[in-house]
Amino acid sequence: MRAFGDNRRRSKAMLELRHLTKRYGALEALHDLSFTVQPGEIFGFVGANGAGKTTTMRVVLGVLEADSGNVIWDGAPITFAARRRIGYIPEDRGLYPKMAVLAQLEYFGRLHGLKRNAAREASTALLERLGLADRAKSQLQSLSHGNQQRVQLAAALVFSPELLVLDEPFAGLDPVAVDSMTEVLRSEADAGKPVVLSSHQLDIVERVCDRVGIINHGQMVALGTVDELTDRGPSRFWVDAPRAAAGWYDSLAGTTLVEQDGSRWLIQVGEGADDQAVLRAALATGPVHEFRRDRPALTQLFRDVMSGKAIDE
Amino acid sequence: MNSQALIRVIATREFLARIRTRVFAITTVLTVVGIGAYILLQAYVLNKSATSLAVGFVGTAQSISAPVRAEAAALGETITVQPYASLAAGTADLQSGTIDALVSGSGPSTTLTTQSSVDPTLETALNDQARQQVLTEYLTQHGLSPSDALGQLNFSVGVNELSPVNAARVEQIVIGLLVAGILYVTMVIYGQLVAAGVIEEKSNRIVEILLATVRPWQLMLGKIAGIGLVALIQVVLVAGVALVLASVTKLVSIPTLSVDVVVSGIVWFVLGYLMYALLFAAAGSMVSRQEDVSSVALPVIMVLVAGWILALTVAAPDPGSPGTTVLSFIPLFSPVIMPVRIAAGVAPFWQVAISVVLVIATIFVFAAIAGRIYRNSVLRVGGRVKFSDALGLTPSGEKLT
Repeated sequence: MRAFGDNRRRSKAMLELRHLTKRYGALEALHDLSFTVQPGEIFGFVGANGAGKTTTMRVVLGVLEADSGNVIWDGAPITFAARRRIGYIPEDRGLYPKMAVLAQLEYFGRLHGLKRNAAREASTALLERLGLADRAKSQLQSLSHGNQQRVQLAAALVFSPELLVLDEPFAGLDPVAVDSMTEVLRSEADAGKPVVLSSHQLDIVERVCDRVGIINHGQMVALGTVDELTDRGPSRFWVDAPRAAAGWYDSLAGTTLVEQDGSRWLIQVGEGADDQAVLRAALATGPVHEFRRDRPALTQLFRDVMSGKAIDE
Repeated sequence: MNSQALIRVIATREFLARIRTRVFAITTVLTVVGIGAYILLQAYVLNKSATSLAVGFVGTAQSISAPVRAEAAALGETITVQPYASLAAGTADLQSGTIDALVSGSGPSTTLTTQSSVDPTLETALNDQARQQVLTEYLTQHGLSPSDALGQLNFSVGVNELSPVNAARVEQIVIGLLVAGILYVTMVIYGQLVAAGVIEEKSNRIVEILLATVRPWQLMLGKIAGIGLVALIQVVLVAGVALVLASVTKLVSIPTLSVDVVVSGIVWFVLGYLMYALLFAAAGSMVSRQEDVSSVALPVIMVLVAGWILALTVAAPDPGSPGTTVLSFIPLFSPVIMPVRIAAGVAPFWQVAISVVLVIATIFVFAAIAGRIYRNSVLRVGGRVKFSDALGLTPSGEKLT
């Protein structure tokens, strides 16, 4: 796949947020929020409405100032010049409705310091890559929602940013558009750029992101790779043992029944207990058709977090 | 990328986005056509009153046709003489409209016949010449030399004006008001465009992307500069058309519509626009919806309207009065009052210079205040931003979404 724009400037820099705090009057929007995004990593930021995702992104962009804490880019507090190298899609989309698509991209390219010709070349190339070349002269408002979203992405990429910060980039996109957006983001990350995105669509986040942070009331409540997050919590196993009678697991220390669904049993294995002993006990009852680690989907994890169930870090 | 280059990129977009609009084309064409039509109409009306009269002279009346024509010419009216042998032939031509007036008879019985109204200049010339004809005959009969006697009358009374009224004065005031009026209308229109432009970016949330790239004041200045350039082009275009037409039709003699009136008008436009555009930009940043533009721009427009009313009621009747002089030094009013004084020729250079300095100082103060209001307001959506919040007087009371 062809990488976007000018990827020679591989800064391989890391983005760090350190102890960010932000208050709006009585409301604490961010509370001691910290996380890092490595070069080449797609970081997914999930949380309920009002959890602080957008505030965090605005602080990174410098559109909003944190009360305390630091945004560190490439080892030093981020500067205005460095922020100008961030490709940004804000939560509320922002482009000129009556401006032609190509002219619009050129404008953003020039605002980020590209010369006239370079801005035109980069814009034309991006439109071609996104399948919008035939709409170059159209007013933005005449495009479909999905295509406007692509132009928004193009506006964030036209100046070959070193870091991408995308607030809800998948909102309102159909599955095909999500795939092409994902593909673009992956290629940007592969070029060594850190990518931060927020989304409500947890299935997409689970699929696309290398690491995920769950934020609630301005605090990071879970942070890690998707596997790390779903590995947390008690280990549970689905056991399909048609001949097992009630209490077949009683002899095993620290083992409890969570749920029974016909011949399927969800067994929670206590701290330090041996999951293989559970399998042996099940086999002792007769045939076992299924023995599977119960890994909660990110959606389940997210619900647990939102409903206040503690997740041990 | 330095500030200047960034502001230029922003200004270029604003300029192109507006100069290509139908609104600009239509308002420019309408204004130019309107002013052109007005000037041509004036010229036509003035020419009409100065058109030459065709006057028929019947028989003996022909003896005074030459002196009547000479006197009328001295009074600024051209007369074409049409001799007639008979009264009937002359009357027929008068009725058919071939001639405008018919003179018949001689001496005390000289008669002027017209279709409806009598041209006063012609009547005066005719009276003078008929009387002179009678007087000449009378003097000759009594053995006196008519040329000697009439030579005694060859004088005019001396005239002393204790406070002379400059003949060009009214014309100058009209010019001054015209300049002030164009500036006033343009500032109102383009000032509101600035406010609307700020709100557009705010309501579309483009401003969030822009402010991740440029400083708020750069964005504000770029917008003001770009829209201002469009306004300046319109002003220069309109003024240029008016100047050319006026001088071609000789309606306004070039000395009164002097180059310094036009040049100072453009300078005052630039200064006045900058001063007011900053206020309009700050006002626009405080609301989020296009519908609110008029309510938030109203206080600024009121100040402009007040200045224009003062120009009409105080400055125009007496540009040299102390009241006008004082008003012309108030920065918010200078752009509409000073052009009237300048056109009337009663503004000494040092006074103009001082008021220019005052306005420039005001622009700097407004830039600081407007920049602050803009920075504190432009990212806040929802209701109207409170003035104290906009000025940043209340600490961290902000909420973005």
